[in-house]
Amino acid sequence: MQPKLKSRVRCTDREIGEVTKVVVDPLSHEISHIVVSMNGSGERQVAMGHVQAVTDGLVELRAPSSDIAALPPFKRDDYVTTHEVEIAHLEEKIHVTPGEVLVPLPELERSVKRRTFFMNFTHAIGFLIGLPIAYPILRYLMKPMYAPFDNGWLKIGNVGKIKQEDIGVQFKYKKKVKEAYLPEAEIEKNVWILKATPAVLEKVYQGKDMEFRDALGKPVWTNKKEIPYVAFSGKCPHLGCGYKWRQHKLLGQVFLCPCHLSIYDASGKVLDGPAPRPLDALPIRVSAAGEVEIIDMEFKAGTKSQIRIV
Amino acid sequence: MEHSSIPSTQPTAIEKVIAFIDERVGLKQMQAKMLNEPVPGGSRWAYVFGSVLLFIFIMQALTGILLMFYYVPTADHAYASTQYIIHEVDYGWFLLSYHFWGSTAMVVCVFAHMSQVFLWGAYKKPREMIWLVGLALFGIVMGFGFTGYLLPWDQRAYWATTVGVEIMDKTPVLGDFMARFLKGGATPGQMTLSRFFVIHVMILPAALMGLAGLHLFLFRAAGPAGPFRGTPEEIKAKTDYFFPRQIWKDIVGMAVVFASICALAFWEPVVLLEEATPDPGDYHPEPEWYFLFLFQLLRLKIFAGEFGQFLGAIALPGAFMALLAALPFIDKDPERNIFKRPIALIGWIVVMVAILLFTVSAIINREFLD
Amino acid sequence: MTDERESMSPTKIGLGVLWPAFWTALPIKLAFVLVFLAMGIMQFEGRIGLAFLMLLASPVTIFALPTISMGLESHIGEGVGIALLFLISIPIDIWALGVVGRTFFLEKFRKEPPDGLGLTLWWKSALVGAIFLPILWFIVSTVTSTSISMAHSFFELEMFKGIPVAERISIELTIWGSIATAVLLLLLLIGVSLVGRMIRGTASGASPATDNYQGLIKRWDLMRVPADQGLMLAGVTGAGVVLSLLFWAALPVTTPHPHECCKQPEVKVQPPYKPLDALNKDEKMIVQLTAQLEAIEKRKAEEAEKNKGKGKAKDGHEAAPPAAKKP
Repeated sequence: MQPKLKSRVRCTDREIGEVTKVVVDPLSHEISHIVVSMNGSGERQVAMGHVQAVTDGLVELRAPSSDIAALPPFKRDDYVTTHEVEIAHLEEKIHVTPGEVLVPLPELERSVKRRTFFMNFTHAIGFLIGLPIAYPILRYLMKPMYAPFDNGWLKIGNVGKIKQEDIGVQFKYKKKVKEAYLPEAEIEKNVWILKATPAVLEKVYQGKDMEFRDALGKPVWTNKKEIPYVAFSGKCPHLGCGYKWRQHKLLGQVFLCPCHLSIYDASGKVLDGPAPRPLDALPIRVSAAGEVEIIDMEFKAGTKSQIRIV
Repeated sequence: MEHSSIPSTQPTAIEKVIAFIDERVGLKQMQAKMLNEPVPGGSRWAYVFGSVLLFIFIMQALTGILLMFYYVPTADHAYASTQYIIHEVDYGWFLLSYHFWGSTAMVVCVFAHMSQVFLWGAYKKPREMIWLVGLALFGIVMGFGFTGYLLPWDQRAYWATTVGVEIMDKTPVLGDFMARFLKGGATPGQMTLSRFFVIHVMILPAALMGLAGLHLFLFRAAGPAGPFRGTPEEIKAKTDYFFPRQIWKDIVGMAVVFASICALAFWEPVVLLEEATPDPGDYHPEPEWYFLFLFQLLRLKIFAGEFGQFLGAIALPGAFMALLAALPFIDKDPERNIFKRPIALIGWIVVMVAILLFTVSAIINREFLD
Repeated sequence: MTDERESMSPTKIGLGVLWPAFWTALPIKLAFVLVFLAMGIMQFEGRIGLAFLMLLASPVTIFALPTISMGLESHIGEGVGIALLFLISIPIDIWALGVVGRTFFLEKFRKEPPDGLGLTLWWKSALVGAIFLPILWFIVSTVTSTSISMAHSFFELEMFKGIPVAERISIELTIWGSIATAVLLLLLLIGVSLVGRMIRGTASGASPATDNYQGLIKRWDLMRVPADQGLMLAGVTGAGVVLSLLFWAALPVTTPHPHECCKQPEVKVQPPYKPLDALNKDEKMIVQLTAQLEAIEKRKAEEAEKNKGKGKAKDGHEAAPPAAKKP
């Protein structure tokens, strides 16, 4: 039991006063001393070691009153109250006031049902304020995230540029883009086109015409497997870098990506390197006069399956 | 706080988490201290305006952040990006209109809140500091309205700002400096837009949050003033706690304000005029509606000329604000019943009627401008 | 306090019941306002403030509104939603008047509220409103227009002609504004006092409540806690979710008031594709083209005959008629 404030204090010979203050060690949170009133003749600070027993309303010391009176007087200025200093969780350990200080609940607050009802109703109303705007906000933020595809044909050059078969030829072109409220701008893109021999063509198409569909599944275009011109997207399927057509020491004439050294043969098949899938073929059509048109598409980089993103 | 009629034998996961935090932080006690604030005389609908203002601010911050996803504060794209929000982005028109009408709601509620505090005499001792911080908050709210208005960069925005800053220029000594600071130069342009933008989205919100926190802290330290009449028996019988009853009234107030702002957004969605040009053309500059009364006042002949302008634009409003600030120190009578404070009551009515009168006059005056 | 209660003026009674009842009903009405506005079934132009006031005071205005709209040709807005809104307001107002009425009876009258108080208060206020409001409307609009023209004519007088525009506007406004406001306030007070008289009449038949003051306060306070909380909360939340879903579905994605610069291109509705008609049309076209082809070939043959005499036949750059692109 901890000594209570206002308890009487008795030495071996007589009562010397009451407990006016209690001193707490700030680190151990234990009571270190009590301050005794000495019946008006100057407070003394008494270490807990001197305390023999604590009962309700009474603190018994094991020293005579003369010893206690001989202690130096208590210096109040060396101390602060617990209100003036931040010691966490102190109230959980120190219980020195006689009894508790209580405040009655107002009459209206005594109904538990009432409290819970208004608490829950408040939550309900709060939820119903947020709910109507949640969906519009989500759509608002998502507006540019899934923009529909542009399936327009772009003229990019003439096949007269291609002098040899099975050789990759880069076609650079400018694409007009209008982003949101910005004025129309042009970006530079490129594709690799090759005039394929039947052997290479067979490797590209593998016996099937190449169908391109839009987001709803409607067919947009079909590359017929007989047409010898193949256009590959200029972005490497590994991480989107621009790749080149090079002479390789061992593998011959190949597409080579400088970023992570993915190597593809003329049909776009992966020969070496981290690429997860072959080069992406684009819809292509060539007019009688040799004018080449493609539909500009971009695909997600780094995935095994081909997922169109632009 | 969680009163369950039948205590469950096994604590739920949520209860365990709460107990975990409570053991370390004293959560339950903190929550009790925050929420169990007795409101003498009971929770009142008249007291909701403070919380409603907080709600409106949060909604403005939210819609403002959303607008910043698409708006750019450059003179070449501010108008286009705002039109993009209105015409292209899904529900952009609704969120922008909400933000616009929310600012009106904020000004209306600020007037309501200040009036309620004034009429209830809740600026008197010991609440003087709450009143002063509140006046600063009022200034910040007006600043929000003024700076935000420029951002769409259409004719209305550009010219209202030009006129407003010119008025500020009339302040003695500091006027020219302040005007150049705000404009970022001698004439309004890109610098003005950048400055108004950073003031509107960074500086004023930070100031408002800090001062609002101070305002709340001071309010809790002083306690709610309560009703200005009623016997002690009546007041005690009706007393309840801030939670749940006052919070409940606050949230209903918030719901009403929310619905009203949405309704206004439907009635008058934001429509921009043409893009700002240095030549006003046929457009007649006008500030936002809550500055209209000042605007109209300056049209009166007594405020004509350089001294007149100074008087009408700076001296008079300045003196009025100074009077409001000095109010708790001048009015030391502890009487709070408005019906026993005739000067206060008549003063309030006169001021409100005058503001209303000049606002409506400004609207009527539009027809006489051509 | 006791004396004040016994002899509470009818105006105080009327105000003490109507004011809280209006505001109690308003939040629920506003939820429907939002959904109706989103659905586009009601529009307000300049008179939205007035419309709001009419809705706020709906127990009193509900039957007066048709009279005012039709008889006095004053419309607050358009759309079937307005009528629907006032219809929905009826149960809401009955409920609100019930809650407020019972509170008032307990605390101010210290009497037991009779059963069905809400309904009683509602139809009685609606009746008073139906008769009084059109009269008030008529008087106030007449007084307003008269005082406006009177104020105008002041400034036609010689001695006032010199006053500049801004001052003139404010002075005119003060003159007719104060007259109209005074008349309006007076009539409103009379109306409220009529309602108060009616309420007092209802109270005179009620039996006194025996609780002490604290007990009475507790009674009306706890009256607001429903017997089955779970049901009520589930109901409110459910209704709110339904209204939100309606709101989401109805909310226009793009602005209903587009600016000149950015009007969305008119989406031309594709005419419905009728396969049979298309086939028939195509058949007809094929027949036509075949006939044309034959005609051209015949002509060519004739020309070729003619040109044989002239010399080399021209190389047929006359390609076949361009293939009709199928739709």
